[in-house]
Amino acid sequence: MSGFEIINPGILTLVQDKGRFSYAHIGVTSSGCMDEYAYFWANKLLGNAKDCNVLEIAFPSFSVKACEDISISITGADLSLSINGTYSKPWSTYNIKKGDILKFCKSLKGVRAYLAVKGGFLLNKDFDSYSTTIKEGLGAIKGRALIKSDFLPYTTYKHNHKKVLKEKYIPSYDKTLVLRVLLSYQENEFEEKEKEKFFSSEFSVSPESNRMGMKLNGEKIIPKISGIISEGIAFGSIQIPSSGQPIILLKDRQTIGGYAKIGSVLAIDCFKLSQAKNNTKIRFEEIDIKSAQEKMKNFYLDFDN
Amino acid sequence: MEIKLASVDSVIVYFDNKISLDVSFNVKQYLEEVKKLEGIIDIVPSYTSILITYDIFIYSYDQIVSVLEKIKVNKISSSDNKIVEIPVYYGEEVGLDLKRISEEKNLSIKEIIDIHSSGSYRVYAIGFAPGFAYMGEVDKRININRLENPRKSIPKNSLAIANEQTAIYPQSSPGGWNIIGKTTIEMFDKSLSSLCPVNVGDEVKFYSISKEEFLKQGGVL
Repeated sequence: MSGFEIINPGILTLVQDKGRFSYAHIGVTSSGCMDEYAYFWANKLLGNAKDCNVLEIAFPSFSVKACEDISISITGADLSLSINGTYSKPWSTYNIKKGDILKFCKSLKGVRAYLAVKGGFLLNKDFDSYSTTIKEGLGAIKGRALIKSDFLPYTTYKHNHKKVLKEKYIPSYDKTLVLRVLLSYQENEFEEKEKEKFFSSEFSVSPESNRMGMKLNGEKIIPKISGIISEGIAFGSIQIPSSGQPIILLKDRQTIGGYAKIGSVLAIDCFKLSQAKNNTKIRFEEIDIKSAQEKMKNFYLDFDN
Repeated sequence: MEIKLASVDSVIVYFDNKISLDVSFNVKQYLEEVKKLEGIIDIVPSYTSILITYDIFIYSYDQIVSVLEKIKVNKISSSDNKIVEIPVYYGEEVGLDLKRISEEKNLSIKEIIDIHSSGSYRVYAIGFAPGFAYMGEVDKRININRLENPRKSIPKNSLAIANEQTAIYPQSSPGGWNIIGKTTIEMFDKSLSSLCPVNVGDEVKFYSISKEEFLKQGGVL
């Protein structure tokens, strides 16, 4: 059978796609690739459909053996992929031969690597999406991370024209990240001096971050209120509990919550944030809704042709 | 009604700043109208608000706001609500906090069960976990705070109360609500096209079943 045999499942390797929509009203989160920039490039480099499924690999040691020929692409974090022992850079396609061994050895740059195969993995969708949300048990592979006994089937494919992404499109995953923020939700529940503090301080990514959200360490930003009537949480919302420690809510966020929110981070910047290692420095700057929507549209249009 | 920016592709509509049955009716009515619009990606109704995520290739922020402003809701409560009846075994072996509530509130366990099962509850919001429906209002006589130390794991299908709210844990999960019984109904059921037997705005009634009936319906002690 054609596919990847798993040698080492890694700690958190998930099947993902763009996400699961139209079920939020019953508490189902959007899920999906944390870094859509890397996700869309993974498919585009292979000439795949835009919404093809991929693997999101969050830690090294994930390793597979190809049972048949296949073309793959690797984007996102550099987890030091070796193909039969040879280091192979991300943001590139590779033609894999039957019997080849792929191994992600160690984390060099960024957090999440994306591995796509030509045509996508032959799996079944769960509620309109392949995306895996472990806490909900939803996703292509029984809603869980990959384990050793899993098999990832694909359609054999040979002779893909090799593609390497131009340097200027490859993100550098710097040690400092500026996130653009739309003031929204309960922004008026923060005094001017707290808002000023929010935009002038430097924060850092806390190790207590995951697919639900990124917790930040730094200055305490204190809201005037201790809580609100629970309401819907948008992707990128910046929730600030009375402890004053901001949390940016990402793909596996809970759908409703009762903490005050000062605003939300522009989605494109959330994708960058998803690649930020612990202790990455974070700053915020304000953006208006008109230019925010313009930037978002351009982001998606770039992957349309 | 107030429409506010939420994120680059979502807005939140607020109907009031306090929870009430009337506001909940407004949320439900408005929700039905929003569902008819094109280019809506996700909708999260809650107690007093609705979060709406829209396709930015169809609406700009100004455009969605002007479309949403035109939707009108009336204050009159409708009576055509769906009523969902849920069987509950209110036994002490599954109602882990019944005894403590009985002591704290100076009520017999039978009185607690009678009070809880005679009420009619409205689904105000669904969230926290898939199928976790926040229902209210619980009778004042059994209004009790959340546990000081939440349990690490609450068994799936447990019926719980916390202050004026009641809910069923759809999956086993950590939680701090007071457990008073267990149902045989799946609150998040992959075999249903709707996934969840209740929707925001529905009315829920609980009825007491015996241990034998509970086990017969497939209940797990």
